[in-house]
Amino acid sequence: MKATIMYTVVGGLVLMSALAEAQEKSAAPELVTRVCSTCHGPRGISISPMFPNLAGQQAVYLETQLKAFRDRSRADPHAQAFMWGMAAQLTDSAITEIAAYYAAQPPAPGKPAGREEIAAGKKIHEEGIPAQQVPPCQSCHGDKAAGNGPFPRLAGQHRPYLERQLAAFISNARANEIMHANAKDLTALQISQIAAFLSAQ
Amino acid sequence: MRIKGFAIAMLVPVVSILIALAAAPPFAPTPASATPGFARQTGISCQACHTVFPELTPFGRKFKLNAYVFTNVKQIEATDEQSQRTLSLSDLPPVSVMLQASNTTLGRGVPDAGVAGDLSKKNDTQFPQALSLFYTGKISDNLGAFLQLTWEPSSNAIGIDNSDLRFANHASFDSIGIPDFIYGLSLNNNPTSQDVWNSTPAWGYPFLTSSVGVPSVTAALIDGQLAQESVGLSAYLFLFNHLYVEFGGYRSAQTSFTNTTTGGPGPLDSTAPQARIAGVAAPYWRLAWEQDWDNHALSFGTYGISTKVHQPGIGESGPTSRFTDVALDAQYQYITDAHIVSATATWIHEFRKFNNAGLADHAHDWLDTARLTGTYFFKRKIGGSVQLFSTTGSRDRTLYCSPDTFATAPSPACPGADTGTPSQLLGSANGKPTTQGAVFEIDYLPWLNTKIGLQYTAYDTFNGRRRNYDGFGRNASQNNLLYVYIWTAF
Repeated sequence: MKATIMYTVVGGLVLMSALAEAQEKSAAPELVTRVCSTCHGPRGISISPMFPNLAGQQAVYLETQLKAFRDRSRADPHAQAFMWGMAAQLTDSAITEIAAYYAAQPPAPGKPAGREEIAAGKKIHEEGIPAQQVPPCQSCHGDKAAGNGPFPRLAGQHRPYLERQLAAFISNARANEIMHANAKDLTALQISQIAAFLSAQ
Repeated sequence: MRIKGFAIAMLVPVVSILIALAAAPPFAPTPASATPGFARQTGISCQACHTVFPELTPFGRKFKLNAYVFTNVKQIEATDEQSQRTLSLSDLPPVSVMLQASNTTLGRGVPDAGVAGDLSKKNDTQFPQALSLFYTGKISDNLGAFLQLTWEPSSNAIGIDNSDLRFANHASFDSIGIPDFIYGLSLNNNPTSQDVWNSTPAWGYPFLTSSVGVPSVTAALIDGQLAQESVGLSAYLFLFNHLYVEFGGYRSAQTSFTNTTTGGPGPLDSTAPQARIAGVAAPYWRLAWEQDWDNHALSFGTYGISTKVHQPGIGESGPTSRFTDVALDAQYQYITDAHIVSATATWIHEFRKFNNAGLADHAHDWLDTARLTGTYFFKRKIGGSVQLFSTTGSRDRTLYCSPDTFATAPSPACPGADTGTPSQLLGSANGKPTTQGAVFEIDYLPWLNTKIGLQYTAYDTFNGRRRNYDGFGRNASQNNLLYVYIWTAF
C-alpha cells in the first residue's frame, strides 16, 4: 500500500514535469527567472545587500555593466567572483532583453535610516562638498537619484552595496575615473551618510 | 503558464501526504565535498555557492535544486526539426579532483590485531586519506549530475561515493497565486545527500573525520547507515522561494560484492551488509521552510525514513526489524564578505521494532541522536567550529554487544558473534548506547579550494560509560582523536 502511494506520488510528479515542459513562457526572460532572480530577486529587488537591486535601474547603465562583466573590464571583487562567469556567454541581444526587463520593474522602496545621517547625506547629494572638490551627486544621478541613461539609479539601493561601490571607486578596484575623482576624498562617515540618504529614497 | 488541471490534482495529494507524514511519525559517513567542476562550468568562484566548502549559501542551494545545469561555457548543441533542443553538452567536461591527506592521533592505542595482548600504534598518517574524481555539472538542458568516485586506502578500493543524478525544471500557476517554482527528481545513493541544507546528515558537520577512529556501537539508519548502500528516487518542489517538499523511496543497492563462489556475500545475498532495506522501498520524506532577510538565512524542517531492515546475519527469509527515523533540523547563516556565522541543529528519533528475539533484549527500542554545531569564519580564510553531539537510547545488552551476553546468546549482528569471543573496544558493557562529547576545529584556507584543519574530538561518554565502557578496561577519553588534515579540490 505504502509502495503504491509512493509510486503514485513520484509518478505524478514525473507527469507534472512532462506537462510543464509544454508551458508558455512567462513575461520575464527565462534567464531572468532561472538565473538572475536567484540573487537579484524575481522582480529585481534582492534580499541580500551583497547583491544590488536592479528594479527600475537605467537600461543603458545595465547594458554597459553587463558588457563590462563580459569583457572583464569591471573587476571589483564581487564582479570577478559572481558576474564574470554569469555574463561570459551573454549575447548582445540577451543583454538588451535583460536590461529592458529590469528597467521596467517598479524600483525598491526606500529603507529607513537615522534622521541626522539622512540630512547630512541629502546635503552632499544636493550641494556636494566644495571644500573637498566633491560635486553634488544629483548633478549626474538626478535630484531624486533615479539615474539617467549611463548614470545609474541610486535611490532605494542597498546601503552596504552603495558603500562598497564607493570604496571600490576610491581604491580603483572598480575602475571609473570620474567616480574615483569624485569619491577619493570622502571620509568613511561621509560615505555612510551618502549611502544612508540614497538607500532611504 | 496556465493551470493544468491534472498537475494541480497531483499537487494536492503530494502536499497532503507529506503533511500527513510529518504529523504521523509511525508511518513509517562519507567525505563531503565541493567541486571545482561547478566553478569550471559556471565561471563563478566558490564563494557564490559556498560559505566555506562544503557548506552551501542560498545561491548554492538554488544551483543544486536547479540540477546543477546553470552553465557559462560553450555548448555543443543539436536541435530537431521542431527546433526542440536534443542536446546541450558542455564543450569541456566539468571534471575535478579532490585530495584529502591526514594524520590522526588516538588517545590510546587499540588492541593490535597482529600481536596478542599488545596495543597498536596510536598514530596514523594517510596520504591520501581519500582521492576522488568528480563529474559535477550539466548533462543536458534540465539534467545534471554530481558523481563522485573515491579511492580510500582503508579499503584499497575505488567505489562510488555520494552521487546524485537530477532533473529539474520551472513552472508557475500564476492564476492561483503560485509564482515561478522549481520541481525536480533526484536519483541518489544516500538519503539526505540530495538535501540542500547542511543540517541533515549526509552534508552535515563534521564534514571530514578520521577514518581510523573508534566507531560507536550504533547510529540511526538515516545517519549514514544507508550511505552508498541504497538507491533512492525522490521528487521535490521548491515553492514561493521558501517551502521545500520532497517525497521518495529508497531500496538497497549493491555497491560491491564478493564472488559468490568464494563464499562471500554476493549481489543477491540478503545477509550482505548492503542489503539492509527489505521490502519494496523505504519511504523518505523531507519538508523545510527557508526564510532569508538581509544577510541572514534561516531554515527549519523535518525529514525521515521508515523501513523494514534485514539485520546483518539474518537471511532473506528471516524476520525483519522495522526502523523509523523521525528527524527535525534547523540552520542559520549570516553571510558577509568579512564574517560568516552558521549554526546547525538536528535531532533524530529512531523507533526500532525487532521481530527476531535473538537480536535484541526488547521487541521495542529507541535511539535519539542530537547534534548542535556553530561555525565562524573571517573572510573565508580562518575560522573554526564547535559541535556538541549526543546519542542516547534504550539499554539493550544483546543489541549493543555487551560481553555478558556472549556467553549465552550473542546477537548475530555483533562482531565476534560467530566465534563467541566478545570484541574489545566496540561493545557496550552496560548495554547503553550513550555516546556524548564535543568536536573542536580550527581551519585555515590559504585559497578558497584548500582547507587545512585541526580537529579534536573529545568523548565524555562512549558506548554507555566514561570508564571501562567495553568491559575490558577502556575509557571513553582513550578514544579521543586529534586529527590534522589538508583537503583540497581542483
